[in-house]
Parts: sequence; C-alpha cells; structure tokens
Amino acid sequence: MAVKVLIVEDNPVARSFLCRVVRESFSDVIAITEAGDLETARKQISLTGGAQGMHGVDPFKLLLVDLELPDGNGMELLSTLAHYPATKIVTTLYSDDDHLFPALQCGADGYLLKEDRFEVLVEELQKIVRGQPPLSPAIARRLLTHFRPGGTGEAAPSDSGFSSAGAFQSSRPVPIEKPLDHERLTPRESEVLTYLSKGFTIKEIASLMGIKWFTVNDHIKSIYKKLNVSSRAEAAVLASKQGLV
Amino acid sequence: MNPAPQANAADASGAGIRAAPVAKRRAQTLRRARLRQRELAVLAVLGFLGLFMLARLLALQPYLDSTWRAEAGDVVELVTSPLSPLKGLGGAHLERITGRDGASLLADANLLQRSPRWSIDDATRQSQLDSQRRLSTLLEQGAVTLHFVGGQQVVVEPRPRGMAGVGALFWLLGAAALALGLVAATVLISHPHWRNLPYALIGLCQGANLLAIGIESLPGLGLPQAYAQHGLIARTAFDLCSAAAMVHLSTLQPLRLPSGRWLAAFTWGICAVLVALAARQALPQAWWWTQAGMLGCGVVTLLLMTWSYRLEPNPFALLMRRLAAAATATLLLLCTAVAVASWQGGVAEGDAALSSVIWYLFLSTLILLLPMFSRVQPLMRELAMLAGTSTVATSLDLLFMSAFSVGAFASLSLSVFLALAVYAATRRWLLQPMSGQHVPGAERMFERLYRVLREVEARPRDSAELLTRLLRDLFEPLEVRTLDRPSARSRVLGDGSALLVPLPTIDADQEHGSDGSIVLRFAERGTRMFSRDDARLTDRVVEQLRRAVAYDKAVERGRSEERARIAQDLHDDIGARLLTLMYKAQSPEMEDYIRHTLKDLKTLTRGLASSDQRLSHATAEWKADIGQRLAAAQIELSWTFIFDRDIVLSVVQWSALTRVLRELISNAIQHSCATHLEISAALEDGRLRLSLADDGIGRNPQAWSHGLGLGGVRKRVKLLGGDVQWRENGRSGIVCTVLIPDLGPRH
Repeated sequence: MAVKVLIVEDNPVARSFLCRVVRESFSDVIAITEAGDLETARKQISLTGGAQGMHGVDPFKLLLVDLELPDGNGMELLSTLAHYPATKIVTTLYSDDDHLFPALQCGADGYLLKEDRFEVLVEELQKIVRGQPPLSPAIARRLLTHFRPGGTGEAAPSDSGFSSAGAFQSSRPVPIEKPLDHERLTPRESEVLTYLSKGFTIKEIASLMGIKWFTVNDHIKSIYKKLNVSSRAEAAVLASKQGLV
Repeated sequence: MNPAPQANAADASGAGIRAAPVAKRRAQTLRRARLRQRELAVLAVLGFLGLFMLARLLALQPYLDSTWRAEAGDVVELVTSPLSPLKGLGGAHLERITGRDGASLLADANLLQRSPRWSIDDATRQSQLDSQRRLSTLLEQGAVTLHFVGGQQVVVEPRPRGMAGVGALFWLLGAAALALGLVAATVLISHPHWRNLPYALIGLCQGANLLAIGIESLPGLGLPQAYAQHGLIARTAFDLCSAAAMVHLSTLQPLRLPSGRWLAAFTWGICAVLVALAARQALPQAWWWTQAGMLGCGVVTLLLMTWSYRLEPNPFALLMRRLAAAATATLLLLCTAVAVASWQGGVAEGDAALSSVIWYLFLSTLILLLPMFSRVQPLMRELAMLAGTSTVATSLDLLFMSAFSVGAFASLSLSVFLALAVYAATRRWLLQPMSGQHVPGAERMFERLYRVLREVEARPRDSAELLTRLLRDLFEPLEVRTLDRPSARSRVLGDGSALLVPLPTIDADQEHGSDGSIVLRFAERGTRMFSRDDARLTDRVVEQLRRAVAYDKAVERGRSEERARIAQDLHDDIGARLLTLMYKAQSPEMEDYIRHTLKDLKTLTRGLASSDQRLSHATAEWKADIGQRLAAAQIELSWTFIFDRDIVLSVVQWSALTRVLRELISNAIQHSCATHLEISAALEDGRLRLSLADDGIGRNPQAWSHGLGLGGVRKRVKLLGGDVQWRENGRSGIVCTVLIPDLGPRH
C-alpha cells in the first residue's frame, strides 16, 4: 500500500518542486495529494478519517504545510490536527523564529525552508521523518525563554551567560505551584538548548557534553514534544480562563 | 498662616509619608479636608449666632430714634425724628437733657461724638466719655426731657431700638468682622501650629475693632451703657494688641528670626503696659502714646522683614515688608491729618472718625488677604488697593481742609487726585512680589519651550532634566529640589514661596502619572511669589512635554509599523516570485544566483522589521547558517569567535556583517574548491577583526576582477568604517581579513 502524503502549497511551481523532493526522499511507493488552500486540505483530511484520524481509514503519513496560504495560515490547519497521526512539516520562506516558533507550538514536527537547495531539502526531510528535526539558534533561544520557570512570555532571552541566570531567577517571584513535568526541561535538555542557541551543531554538542549524537537528538525530539504539549496545555488554560471551554 | 516652606519640605521628604501608599495618603488628605470643612462650617454658624446675639442685645437697649447734627459753635441741631413729640421740631437746637431724677446733661458736640478713640486731647476724650456715659444712664432710667433753645420742653420715652433699629452699617461691619475671624480660624485649623497664633490674634483683634465701630455706628441717640463705659479702652487694647502681634508674627514668619522671641516679648510688654496705664487713666496724652505704639510696631515689622529677607530671600518677606510699609505710611498720614485737624479746629470731629474707619477697613482687607495673597483673584487685591487709596484720599482731604483751609470741594478733588497718583505709583511696587509676570517675554519663552521640546523629542529619557532646566529658565528660582513623592498637578505651596511641579512620566503606558516632583523655591532669585498662573503655566508646560514624549513614541511606533509592512510586502511578493523563478531556473548557476538574491532579500526584510540585535545572537545564527552551507558543500568549518563584551549591533551593522559573511562564504564555496575553511573573529574594545582562511586553489588575489560579489563586500565593510584585504594563505588558498576599527553602537 502506498504511503499517503498531503502537500498544502498554493504556488503550483513550488508544489511540484516539493513533490519531487518527497518522491526523491523515500523509496516507498508514494501517493501524493496536493491542496492549494486550507479548504481543500481540510476536505482531503476529512476524506481520510477527519482531524483525529481515528476511523481506521488509511490516513496521511506525511503533511507538508505552507504557512502563507490564500485562505489563511497553515498554523490554523496544524492546530486542528494535534492528534493526527502524521509527521507534520512546515514549509516556508520565513526562516526567522517569529514565524517558525508559533508553528512549532502548533504541533509541527519540523520545518523546511523552501529556498534551500533540492539536495538539502531532501536530506532535511529525511531527517525530520527519521526524527532528527532541525533547531536553529534563534528558536533554541525562544525555547529557553519559553521553558524558563515562571516565564512563558517574551522575557529577555537569556543566552550566553552574559546575564547570570541565578540572579535572574532569584529576583522573580517563586511560583507556589510546582510546574508540571511537561512545563519543565530536564537539565540535560536545557544544556542542549543552550548550546544550540549558541550555534553549536549536534556533533559539537555531543562531544562537548560527552554523550552520543543520538542522545543529543533524542533530547531535541523530547524538547519538540514538550513544546507542543506545553503549548496545548497553555492554550487550554487560556481558553478555560476566558470561558471558552 | 502660611505653612512655612521649611516645614513643607520636611513633610515632603519625610520617610513616613513616602512609605504610605499614594491612594491611602490621598484618602487621608481628603478626609482631613472634609473634617476641616465641617469644623469651619460649625465655626461660621457659631460666629453668625454670636453676631446675632450681639445684635439682639443691642436691640434691647433704649434709645431715642432721632437724627442730630452738630453745628458750628458746639450746637446740636435736631434734623428729623419719627417720634411724635419731636415732630415739627426739625432745625431746633438742643440745650440740655434732663432725666427722671432731675440729673441734667448739657448738650454739646460731645453728645454726638461716640468714639473718643480718635480724639486727641485728653480733656476732650474725658468729656466725650462722660457725656456718653451720662446719656446712656439717663436713657436707661426712663423718660427724659429734652430742653430746646427757646424754652421748648419735650418729654420723650426712650424705647428699645428693636432689630430694625440696629442699622445696615452694623451688619456690614459685623459681616466683615466675621470674615476676619473665620479667616483666622481657617488658618489655624488648616495649619495648626503655634506660629500661626499671632496671625489669628491679629485677625480677631481687627474683627473686634470692626464690631466696635459697628456699635458706634448705631443710629439714634444713646449707646449701650457697657460700651459707653469700656469702649475706649477696649479699642485701644485691640489696636495695640494687633500691633504687637504683628511684630511677633514677623519674628516667626516666613523665617524664625534669631532672638526674635525676646523682641516679641519686649513689644508685648510695652503694649501691655500702655494698655494697663490707659485703663487706669494714668496715661497722659493717651492718644499720642497709642498711636506711637502702633507706628513703632509698624516700623519694627518693616525692619524685621528687611532682616528676614537678608537672611533668606523669601519673596513672602518682601511682600510683607511692602504691605507693612503701606499700612504704616497710611496710618502715619492719618495720624498727622487727625492731629492737624484737631489743632486747627474747624473740622467736624466726625470726619476724623470716618477717615479712621476707612483705615481700619484697609487694614482688615490686608489682613484678610495676607494668607492667600498668591492665590486670590486679582479682584480682591484691587479691592485692598482701593481701600488703601480711599484711606489716603480721606486723610489728605482732612489735612487740606484743616491745615490749608482749602474749600471743601477743592480739597476733596485735590485729595482724590493725589490719592490716585499715589495708587498709580505704588501699585506696581506693592504687587510686584506677587504677580508681576517677570517671566521672560512671550517670544523668548516660546523659543525656550520650543527648544526644550525638540530636545525632549530627541532624548525622551532626559525629559526630567530638561524640564528642570526649562523651569529654572522660566522662574529663576533660588533653589530646585526633586522629591520622590508624586503629585497630580502643579501647585503653589503655602504662601507662594515654593512651587511643586510633577515630573512627567517617561513611560508612555502610564498616561497621567508622575514618578516624582520638582520643588522650586523663591522665584526670581527670591523677589517674586509664585502665583496660580505660574502653576497653570507649568502644568501646560508639563503637558506639552508629555505630549512631546508621547508623540515621539507614536512616531517611532508608526515608523516601525511602516517598516514592518514594507518588509512583509517585499518578503511575500518579491520573495514568492524569486522562489518561483528559482525553481524554474535553467542552470544551477542561475539557481544559486537567485537563491543568493533571495537570501539577501530576506536579510534586508529582516533588518527592516527587527530592531537591534546582540552580537552573541547574531554570531550563533551566522555559525549555524554557515555550518549548514559548508556542510552541504562538503567543506570543513572551524569557527572561533571571541568577544570581550556582548555589544548590541544596530540593524545596519547586523545586515552588513551578515551579507559580508554570506558573500565571502559563497565565494569560497563557488571558487575555492577548498576542503577546509577557518573562520576566526575577535572583538576587542569595539575593534572587530574577522578572517576567513581557506585551503583552496585561489591565488594572486590582486589579479581578481571584483565583480558584483566582492565589490559588495568592500562597499559594506567601508560602510562600517572598516577595511577588507585578500592575500595568499601560505601554500594554498586565500586569507580574507576584515578589520573594523570601531564597531561601537554609534553607526
């Protein structure tokens, strides 16, 4: 049975380019569905069992979603697909953390920059599917801020040890409730993030921390998951506070 | 009366007040003010009741409802009377009055002269006192017989005068007395301090004086017995008491004078002795002594104020000195006029009494205004000036008529003319410490304000300092201090010696608040008092500054929004087109070229949209990006970046450095065929040294044609004020060195 892939992209040239990338990346038989806007994408998804993907119908295994679509933002689609059992990848021209971080919060498993070279895109796509998502320094910095105790807001990004973290934390009010596990990073994960935010590669981090390349990668995967979960919890809290639920 | 500025400043910087939360403090102040208002209302009601009781008492006194006139030659003539036995006797001259027991009182001018206070001669005083006393005794006994010249005898029954018989003048003077008493009470209640006691005393004494004059003004024949007995000594006591209190006050306000206590005690002692002697009638030439005492106190007050101003140039001292000078000078003029009139004769005693009444009114308005000179409306001040002018006019009138025997009309017009001249001459001099707008002319002020506003727009952070400078320019105060205590608006403190100005908040989120306040003391180097107009003016200035800051912020916000919009459009439209073009590119070179352009576009738009960046952040991204690109091109990267300080790169610096690096890396990837690229950079004291060394095939860089790429590098490095060089790297490859001597935050 063919592996089903959904590509949501409004630019036909870019769409066919991405199709080539997908076909090149996987040796399996690929069945690609293309969608030019969010509406078509939603229709296609509901044909294959709806957003939850629970009907036993053959769901998509891979979703490539562009952020800028004619009828909305790809993040809208992603946030409805929180439990959809597919690898969800954001394809975009925006490489800055302001655009990418919210997409990751919406549950994307990784991102591809559309202007990258064909070979690079193939490699990156394979990596994401394999569970080796990219993490740029800027996004790592955002993650550090996001997971800092008491501060999910846009506090000054602490980074390279120029602002001493200890002093910074002591000046904050200590939260009375103990943060839940999904709201915290393990010390190892924080360390990995800190290195990433300083521009180190996974290989360099592995040697700096004295651990295996795969272990570093596992930490990154775990961070991705925690971001997704914590963002959803945050949204739920926000929604219940505003009486939406 | 005036809360001493020292006390105020101490309050303001007091730790206790600062510690209390603003809202609580405000509530407290409000509650206290409300309590004060209630106390005052109660006092006003009590005062009015007292006045009413006095009127009631007077209404019960028996009197003869009739109007008399003193004619030349000590003759008393009946003008008119509603009493039936006296009807038709208008123009008849009274000879004497006899009572029921046969006691007789000879009718002369003394009968009509009710105020011996302003009679000079001891004998005249005594006879006036006697005749008034005897008249009231006669009236109290019952029916009296009036003997007119020509043998006519009329028996008249004195009746209580009733409330209607009290007369309008009494109520008018009573109201003025009440106002004086209430102002004294207000000062004491709002600033309960023993230093304000002398002022309250002055107010009460003058109020009592006005009441006494009111009693003397009762129409008809006959005064209350008690007043006829003790009126003179009471009025002497009130006069001397307020004079001594004035001296006492000037030793305490605005500055506590050294050894002022002894001086005050000495003055009080002298005045007490004078009053005691006068009461026992053991003081010969009592009028002269009393007047000398009052004038002496006035002169001492003048001297004390001069001294006080020397010690501390408080404009309030200046004002007090001038007011004291005005009061003393008019008193001197009045005394001279009365004395001359009495010597020369030929002037009715009533005129002297009248001019003294006007002087008392003048003094009363001065006392009323003293605690609120900087705050009252100009109308009130003009009223005081008018009262002073009238005093001068009547005194002069008296003087001319008696001393120079000028005709009544000529004397009146001459004296009015002179008084107006005096008014015109002294008005400016007297009011100058309060309101004389010595603020630099409108043009200069506008210019200063404009300049400061521009500076505030340029440097909103310094607005507090700039405001202070502007206020210094405007008011030339002797002292400027900043307080931590916030204030809602500008206000004049106490007696006008200080002005409290709120510092505008720099934070635009808080629209109307202030972090602290500025206190200006002693405007115009201590020659002028702050007025409400000044407070209003500073409020406007502060408002303008606030607006300037807000405007600046709005402009900045608008600018960045506009930039973000342009960036978005560029990125979305041009970016998408370039992307399509790139996918359709005919050759890999073309594709790379477009990719490069696309990346430059992204750098450009990001520079447009984002603000300044830290060097450490930028380095991390450069490293990640370069690492990825070189890995794709299978070139090994070794990267070192050392900096002694994490500076903040401006958008221009960031985008220039990013594009320089990208261009150099592209160059290396495309042309060098290198396997290893070593990038090392160091920032020391703002001096950036960046070098890229490859082990490729490039040689002889001088012979390179500097196309678009390398030309761009040169241009951008030059833009940063630096220099770029290429040379051969040992056996193989090229080293490119970028040197930027000053990567400070200035570019």
